Order: sequence, then C-alpha cells, then structure tokens
Amino acid sequence: MGEKYEENRDVKKMNNSETLKIALKAAVEAGNTLIEHNKDNLKVSKKESLRDIVTEIDKITERKIIEILKNFNSEITILTEESGISKGKNENLTWVVDALDGTVNYVNNLQYYGVSIALLEKNTPIVGVIFNPITEELYYGAEGIGVFKNQKRITVLDKPFEEGLFTVAFSGKNHDPVNRTEEFLKFGEVNDSSRGCLRTGSAAMNLAYLAEGKFSGCWGKANKNWDISAGILLAKLAGAKIIFSKGNEESNLVSYLAAVPSSWETLYQKVGKTIGL
Amino acid sequence: MKKSLLIYGAGAIGRGFIPWVFDPKQYDFYYVENNLELKEKLNKHKKFISYRTNEGTYDKRIVEIKECFSPGQEKEIIKNISAVITAIGPRNILSLQKMLSDTNIPIICCENDSSIPNLLSSVIKNPNVVFAIPDVITSNTAPQELLDQDPNSIVTENGVCYIDDRVSFLGGEAKYVSKKELENQWLAKLYIHNTPHCIAAYLGSIVNVTYLHESMQNKFIKNIVSNAMNEMVQMLLKKFSMDKEFVNWYSEKELKRFENKLLFDPIYRVAREPFRKLAPNERLIGAAQLCLSEGIIPENILLGIMSAFAYNNEIDEDSNITYLINSIASKDFLRIIINLNPTEALYEILLNEWEKNMKKIEMLKK
Repeated sequence: MGEKYEENRDVKKMNNSETLKIALKAAVEAGNTLIEHNKDNLKVSKKESLRDIVTEIDKITERKIIEILKNFNSEITILTEESGISKGKNENLTWVVDALDGTVNYVNNLQYYGVSIALLEKNTPIVGVIFNPITEELYYGAEGIGVFKNQKRITVLDKPFEEGLFTVAFSGKNHDPVNRTEEFLKFGEVNDSSRGCLRTGSAAMNLAYLAEGKFSGCWGKANKNWDISAGILLAKLAGAKIIFSKGNEESNLVSYLAAVPSSWETLYQKVGKTIGL
Repeated sequence: MKKSLLIYGAGAIGRGFIPWVFDPKQYDFYYVENNLELKEKLNKHKKFISYRTNEGTYDKRIVEIKECFSPGQEKEIIKNISAVITAIGPRNILSLQKMLSDTNIPIICCENDSSIPNLLSSVIKNPNVVFAIPDVITSNTAPQELLDQDPNSIVTENGVCYIDDRVSFLGGEAKYVSKKELENQWLAKLYIHNTPHCIAAYLGSIVNVTYLHESMQNKFIKNIVSNAMNEMVQMLLKKFSMDKEFVNWYSEKELKRFENKLLFDPIYRVAREPFRKLAPNERLIGAAQLCLSEGIIPENILLGIMSAFAYNNEIDEDSNITYLINSIASKDFLRIIINLNPTEALYEILLNEWEKNMKKIEMLKK
C-alpha cells in the first residue's frame, strides 16, 4: 500500500506528513539492513577517537537511506555522518542522517543503537524518526502532527530531579581536553544527586527515551548534528524543555541539554555552564 | 429516599442508554464529562431527551439531571453517591484512580472490555467493581429533527443491560446475572457484535458514508459483515462449545441492529482508535487468531483487518496509522506496528492476502 513517490516533486507542495512518511520508510529499511548484517564479522575502522568508529554496515545502510531520500526528492540537501554534505537545489531543507548511531554498541551486540533521520527547515528540525531495529522501537514525529512510538502517542514523564534518571553523551576525547575532567565531575554529580546518570553510547536513543518518559533528562557536549537532530525534535514535541548551541557549520557540533520541565532548572544549574550553554 | 448515580461519561452509553436502565424518576443523575461544551449545555437545561428505537418509532424519555461536573468537581458529592457507572472508554479508566481510591462505592464498568473491572478494582483497592454489558447500540447523537427539539438529544436501541449480580441491590431495569452468564454474554458481544460491527464501520469509512446503517446498505459490505459474523459464530461453536441456538439468535439480532435506520450511529464513533481494536486479544486480530486456532480461515475478518489498517481520519487518536501504512513495507508494518510474529499463521496469511485484499478495498473506494 506504500505510495510511490515521484522524483523531484515540487518541494513547495510538500508537507510534513509526506516527508514523515519517507523518513519512516528510510529508517525502517535501514534498520532491516542493520539486522541482516548484525552477525557479520565486521571490519571496524577508527575515526576521530578509539570509540568513534565506523563499519561497512554504517556505509551500506547510509547509502540505502540516501537512495530512498533522493528518490523522493533529489533537490533536498542531504547531510550524513559518513558521506558528509550533498547539496541540493533547495537551500531551505536538509535531511540529516545517522544510519547507525551507537556503532560501538552495535558491534558489541548491545541493543542500544538506532537509525536517526531528521528533516531540517532552515536549520530547525521539523520531521524526525529514530528506529532501534533490534528492539523494534520506532519513534517518529513532525511539527503539526505530534510524536509517537510504534502505535502510541508519547509524552515525557514529568518528575522532580531527585526522582529522575539521566543520561549523557560526552564529547570526543580530543575535543576541548582541558575541560574533560570537569565533564566527568558533572556526570558524577548528577549521578549522585538523582536516581542515576548513564553513559549509553547513543545520543539519538537517549533523546527518544526522554521523549517516551524513560529518562528525565539528557545532555551532550560537542555531539554531532546527525546524532541529535531527530531526537531534539521528538523530545521537544513530547514536552521536554531544550536548549542547544551549535558550533560553526562545518564542524556540525552541537551542545544541548534537554529535560522534563520539573527537572530542567536543577539539571541546567549543574551542567549548563560546563557544556557551554 | 432516591438512590443517586454518578455517571462518568455523558456520551452514547452514559447519556443515551443508562436512563433506560435506571429510571431517572427513581434515581438522581449526576454526570462527569470532560467535554466542556456538552457539560455546560447539560447544566444549562438540567435535562435532555433520550430516544429509544422501538419497531420503527421512538420511545421518548426526558432525563432530569442534578448536575454535570468537570472531572474533579464531583469530589463534593461522591460520599453521598449510591453507585458509580463508568462509560468513558477503556483507555481513560485509570484517570478515575485518584477520585475513586479507597472507597467502597459499587462501581459498574460499561467499558466494552472485560478486563477493566479487575484493573480498576486493583488500583483503587475497591472490591465492589463489577462488569456490565450494555447489549445495545447507542449513537452519540440524533437525527436533525430530534436535535431541533433538544440539542442534547440522543438515540439508543431497545436492549438489555447485563450486570454482575453482586450489585443487584441497586435495582432498576437491568438484568442481573451470574458471572458465568455474564461471560457467555461477553463472548457473544465481543465476537458476534464487536468484530462485525467495527468491520462494518471500517468498510463504511472506505465508501465514505457517515452512519453505520448507510454502510450496511452497500451489498458488498453487508455480505462481508454477514460472513465475518458467521466466521465468529463457527469459532464460538468450536472453541467455546456455545449453544448453537443462542449464537444463531444473537447473530441474527446483531445484523438487524447494524441496519437500524433510526439509530444514526456515526461511523467515526464505531471506528475510532483502530490500534485498540487491532490489539492482540481484541476484536480483529484476536478474533482472527481464534478462528485460525480452530482451523477456520477467517477470510472476511482478514478483509476487515485490512480495512482497519486503511482507516484514515485525521482527528482520530490513532491517526498515525495512516502514516505508517503508507510508508513502511507490509511485512514491517505487521511485525513492528501490529506486533505479529513472522512465525505466526496470521502474519503469513495477512501477507499472502495483502495485495488481493487491498485491491478489494481500492475497488470499494471506486
């Protein structure tokens, strides 16, 4: 019953429901590819640090997503983790794609990773999908439509800081090494003054779980645009309070803090300054 | 002294049918309703009219009410209430937890889900929560000529309300029955009524009609609904060894109900929340699974399931079904969204019949 999309359809006529559908299709098909290959003996290459790695599967999956998105409309710019930017005629809209957020978890058979696809309009996310294919958790949403997990509409679960569980995505080891110790100290401080703080390995899933009410807040320093764009939108649509700050356009770095309303102020006071917000 | 009833939900069952079970002349009626506009209209007039279809005409009952509250406002009177009746939809039942906790008031759940009384009873720690089956179709509105007389008018059928006999002391015109009899009535209602009823609605939405009786005027739809009902009857006879005479009587009665031209039962009311109806043990997926477990291929129910997948109503709580069915592959939709395991017979048969059934739906649209 899937609709057949005409190539190069007029961008002006598109609306969020159409782009949401294509993001859903791309995320689920990419997820299926990840599952098909998860028993393979993967060749792992290091990128910026020991834990910043890439496999052939990241690349295969990314190509599949790009093909689906381009087939839908080749005028939209596409920014992906592995291939970088592919500029389209349309300067207002950009797909931002991480075919596998949580590669370390994936190669270690930990079930905490996902495909993340967002559509940005003038740098603001308007459509987002995050799919964890191993747990079959499909998070999706769009401005004007709402936010869902699989069948159900979701919202954050508002609770005071002390009763919340939090999660963090650290910056790469080589980024701002002077303040590295301070980042770990803040992680410990949040961990010891709440129900706990986790370092999970997937910023996209952190934000999806915040949107669903599993986490009360999360933050990240110098994360990549493709890790968090979809999650930022989903968490916002689910009722989280969010602040973020982007680095220069070429670096694609974003620092952010997102939390349920009742935990926001305490979390911000504890870690906001450390991550430059 | 008159008994007093606190009724949660002034919709189809609460406002349309309950006044025929408990005569407003003998009971004081209080409502709790979260639709502010309806609440204000009810409080302004302090009465409304419920019409009951009766052999081609309407019986009329003027229902005087004491008060209609917004949720939370009923706190002031709850201690003086003889019984609570809920008709707010299964998904909303836990919203009553705070208000009803630690009371011993008898609570009658008219929620079209037999698991609800136990759920509510456990969370509010009240053993006096019982199940009731309004064996009736009730619209949540009325035809224009009746609305012109009273904008709060509502139409119900002439039917029976089966209630667990643990609360028979409440009296009224209900039929208080044993747990066993209630279970039989529930099986019949769940599968002979609910399954074909929602199929009639989903197919009706495809041909773009407004009311259920209009859907049943389409010969193709009537045939599918009737055959789906027969599939359920065969399953009930095999699996539950139910009395053949009873299930045949029940199914004939239901078909006539669906065609009742006086009822004006909106399609959107019956079809709402398709994901709830597509849950594993519910009236569509659950019904098909039961048929398959007895060796019955539920071809007509399968088409009903597909028509639920195709339900497209932007303002429905489950409107996201449209994005999902129109984007991801059918095999993924069945697995990830409908939670069917690829090793299950139903998964395989739905996939095998997918194109054929979608063609039928497309033809129906035309």
